[in-house]
Amino acid sequence: MNSLLSARDLTISFGPVHALRGVGLDLRAGEIQALCGENGAGKSTLIKVLMGIYQPDKGVVEVDGVAQRIASPQHAQEMGFALVAQELSLAPQLSVLDNIWLGDRSVPMFHRRKALREKARRALETLQVQIDLDAKVNDLTMGQRQLVEIARMIARDARVLILDEPTATLSDVEIEHLFQVLRKLRAQGHAILYVTHRLGEVFEICDTVTVMRNGAHISTGPVSEVSREQLVETMLGRSFSDMYPERLPGPGSTGLSVSGLCIDGSFENVSFDAPRGKILCLAGQIGSGAGHVIRAIGGLAPLTSGRMLLDGRPLTGSARGSTIAFISEDRAKEGLFDRSVLENLVAGQWQDHARLGMISWTSARRRAAELAASVGIDGRRLATNAFNFSGGNQQKILFARAAGGKTPGVILMNEPTRGVDIGARSEIYRLMRDLCTRGYCLVMMSTDLEEVVGIADIVVPMYRGAVVAHYEGEEIDISRILLDITHPRTAGEVPRETVGP
Amino acid sequence: MKPSVLSDMSVPVTPAPGRFTWMTDRIDFVDGLRIAVFAALAIGAVLTPGFLSVPSLLSLLTTLSFVGCVAVGMTMITLSGNIMSFSLGATAAAAAVAFVHVLNAWGLAAGIAAALVTGALISAAQGLIIGSLRANPIIVSIASLALIYGVLNLLTGNATLDVETGSVLSPAWRRPFGIPIEALAFLLCLFIGQCLLSFTVFGRRVFLIGSGMRSADVLGLRVWRSVTAVYAWAGVFAAMAGILLATRYNQANMEYGIGYDYDAIAAVLVGGVAIKGGIGSMWRTLAGVCLMATVQVVLLLHGFRQEWQYLIAGLIVLLVVVLQARRRS
Amino acid sequence: MKIISQKTRPYLILAATILVLAIVDRGRGNVLSGATVFSALQYLATLGPVALGLSLTMLVREYDLSVAGVFGLAGCVAVLVGADYPALGFAAAMLTGAASGFIQGLIITRLQMPSIGVTLGGLLTAIGLAYVITGNQTLSSDNIDLALALNARVAGLFTPRSIIALALAVAFAMALYWLWIGRDLIAIGSDRRAAHTAGVRVDALMVAVFTTSGVLAALSGALLSYSLASASPSGLSDVLVPATAAAILGGVSLSGGTGTPLGVTAGVLMLGVLRAGLNALGAPPFAHDMSMGAVLLAVAILDAPGIRAFFGRFQMTGNRAEDQTVRAR
Repeated sequence: MNSLLSARDLTISFGPVHALRGVGLDLRAGEIQALCGENGAGKSTLIKVLMGIYQPDKGVVEVDGVAQRIASPQHAQEMGFALVAQELSLAPQLSVLDNIWLGDRSVPMFHRRKALREKARRALETLQVQIDLDAKVNDLTMGQRQLVEIARMIARDARVLILDEPTATLSDVEIEHLFQVLRKLRAQGHAILYVTHRLGEVFEICDTVTVMRNGAHISTGPVSEVSREQLVETMLGRSFSDMYPERLPGPGSTGLSVSGLCIDGSFENVSFDAPRGKILCLAGQIGSGAGHVIRAIGGLAPLTSGRMLLDGRPLTGSARGSTIAFISEDRAKEGLFDRSVLENLVAGQWQDHARLGMISWTSARRRAAELAASVGIDGRRLATNAFNFSGGNQQKILFARAAGGKTPGVILMNEPTRGVDIGARSEIYRLMRDLCTRGYCLVMMSTDLEEVVGIADIVVPMYRGAVVAHYEGEEIDISRILLDITHPRTAGEVPRETVGP
Repeated sequence: MKPSVLSDMSVPVTPAPGRFTWMTDRIDFVDGLRIAVFAALAIGAVLTPGFLSVPSLLSLLTTLSFVGCVAVGMTMITLSGNIMSFSLGATAAAAAVAFVHVLNAWGLAAGIAAALVTGALISAAQGLIIGSLRANPIIVSIASLALIYGVLNLLTGNATLDVETGSVLSPAWRRPFGIPIEALAFLLCLFIGQCLLSFTVFGRRVFLIGSGMRSADVLGLRVWRSVTAVYAWAGVFAAMAGILLATRYNQANMEYGIGYDYDAIAAVLVGGVAIKGGIGSMWRTLAGVCLMATVQVVLLLHGFRQEWQYLIAGLIVLLVVVLQARRRS
Repeated sequence: MKIISQKTRPYLILAATILVLAIVDRGRGNVLSGATVFSALQYLATLGPVALGLSLTMLVREYDLSVAGVFGLAGCVAVLVGADYPALGFAAAMLTGAASGFIQGLIITRLQMPSIGVTLGGLLTAIGLAYVITGNQTLSSDNIDLALALNARVAGLFTPRSIIALALAVAFAMALYWLWIGRDLIAIGSDRRAAHTAGVRVDALMVAVFTTSGVLAALSGALLSYSLASASPSGLSDVLVPATAAAILGGVSLSGGTGTPLGVTAGVLMLGVLRAGLNALGAPPFAHDMSMGAVLLAVAILDAPGIRAFFGRFQMTGNRAEDQTVRAR
């Protein structure tokens, strides 16, 4: 069987970051190949190169044995490549039929609706899914939307299907259905590249598995010849460096305590105790609901039910901004202001530097200098715009602000080191430990397992909206946690008909 | 695809933190352009026959003061990220009517108070809708414009309301120290506005909201309160313009203030306040007001009729808006 | 509010308006008369194309402020150029509108700017040009025959102008329904990023939308001026308030992605009926401004993003994808 798609030596860098280093790939017709790797391994970048979104600095891509230069997404589509990304490219206000043919240049102006409708109907039939062609995409569940995207690919005669974390937000039933569809497509001769964190699915549906790490291709081989433990080991690579400061002994005092937290369609029955002086981390992949839990505690998403206590007393709405600080994963839109570092540091606390409504700039500047020093930002750069700093420094600004209150409270973090380089990461971890010593209660969420295992005192893995386990101190083991967040079924999990969106 | 905000932006010249941090905001190369244009304009103006005459300059000062007060209010709205308001001119007219009406009945002090309150309330109502419901600020202001004129029409029947005592101010008061009182009032508004921005917690919040509304939400700042206050103050400054107009002509008419919004936003943008919000200061507005007024007078003196003002203003706004875009791309 | 679906809402509102006015009229026959229908259709003749063009820009989640200016400018151009050859004047007016829309569209897409700033510049420039070419006076045309022809009654209720407006509405409705352009525009409005990824030519379509908006506004302005045999620069409230209100009433939202030309037509008719009905009931002139302003304010409030929070639904977390994952069940 010849390769449908063959890539060699793909290399691309974004500034100092080497996203891909000489990566090769082979996709055959009638094959489902898994692409695995940790966060930052380069999977997304590889896909984007294949789909013409990025142009590689070096390397060659061969389609049907002929070297090609994939210049744009349209070009990729013309060659028969199709991508179902985590962010779907469906227009919510249009119908299923319209979305299937959206953007197809070969559709004539006065589109012959009958012919198009027929083709779309047949595509849906292949997928064995009952979706009304005229239903608005807005009204469909996530699972159905994904199937519509796949239907779009089939209707447009795509040969290579790339699926990026397709099951992240699907229910069990929907996942089963998807697998049936994929098997059918494989039998029909399509080549499928299946990117996933969920190792169980790799063994269930895939023929070969490719592992990437740090932008490089590590291994490729048949699924039948590898065990789950071996896969995990290959994905993790060398043991983590000592960029994580030492944990402190001791139980910690009463801090944040949540029970029965639930948001319909996102997560349910989440309970944990986060003592002051300790770092509690929710571990989970996309679709686990961990990020939403943190947002809910921070008051940014309304809870359907649940209780939260801080130091034994119920949390009030006004706590947000004073006792509870939230650091979002999207610091550009939900954290920083397009102004100087000084203003970012003092934001929300100006009333502390004012008497009778008039500000004292000396007081504010002094405070800003203190805060900047506490996180290692040069005090001479207070007037520089926050967006001119590196990702690591931006995150430090947010930390300084979060810890700027009078009494230590709760700091909530979603992906605290996203977009932060290695050097700054260790500084942030040290910062977090320091905050612990001062009596703060740190609750975070991360998809980076190395980080979770390295920094957290308590780990609470989540999978598809449910808490799977609870580990403290010595119990924390990276392989165990990886299995928890990727395993399809655990003893305590309640199988759901329609989880989620 | 839009470039990410975190990618390299042209690094602006930043002032060292010191005593003057509160006065300056970012300065970049477009400002250099501005200064060059301003200088050229100043030279052109001075060289124009008739410009440097005292009556000409005084008349210039008076004219720009009316729009200037409105521009101060407009600046606050723009800084808060709400782009502009089309109803400030109408608010000025409403305040003028209220001023004369109450002045006739209860005297000067009451008249001023009534006018300021009128302006504040009319504008604050809009601010409340915009701040709490996040309704589109442009649409709300356009709707308010129509409503205000409707109500004014109802109340005054487009008739002119005269000041009963004949004149609001005695001649001595019209030019204290030889400077038109309108100009002094404008400078007072400017000063108050800048103090609000630099020295009050409210002012800091305006900048925060303008430069990152979602971040402000996430941080727990009560955005709706600040937005309502911004609009209330804008209404106060617009009311000031109305009081000045009524004082100057000793009468009030609902047709006052027509076109002031355009002049005001043009001045604000020309001075360098960013249309997306979060960047700017009253000094920029002052520069913009002076620049636009100078352009107008120079054009007049060179024989261009008044009609050219709108066109020039429009082209200048387009140019400024386009130049501001370069910061991001 | 799923009781009244988005699609039928405009027609229901139209029916409701007629009903309310009829009730107020207490059966005196002033409202439900041929005169009212005629008047409403004439209103459609003037506002219809403008509202149509504006709604197209709103469909893609933008807003064209300049239609108000182009409307007036086109009328002035038509009368000026078409003194001897009306057809030439008409062509010149349409060209003006097209150029205005095209240039603004290019600036918006090339520089990736929000449309508000650019169309503000366009508005001011258009108004300015109108003032300049008319010398701030009302132009009058000698072409009375043309005026009479445009106002001639057809089948008792229509005139050539209203027929043109209706024809345009139907043409656009068919085009957007049958051609792929309709789908693409909705896609751009409902999720621009997704549309781009799916292969929709976002930039080209955006330029086309703004050009169309300019042309439609120009067409309307030119025809109106010909029918009145006079032209003058128009005001903001005259055009933008009703056009925006009509669009939102017609199912178009400022957040983009919804609305149909026929719905917008129903919206314009509703405003026309309101206006004619108020006239028939003997309401004074200011009632027009007030009612239009009130209607626009009401729909702006109901269309506001925060209104859902007000009614107990959850508040936006800001991240659109996240919102969708949490909301759908």
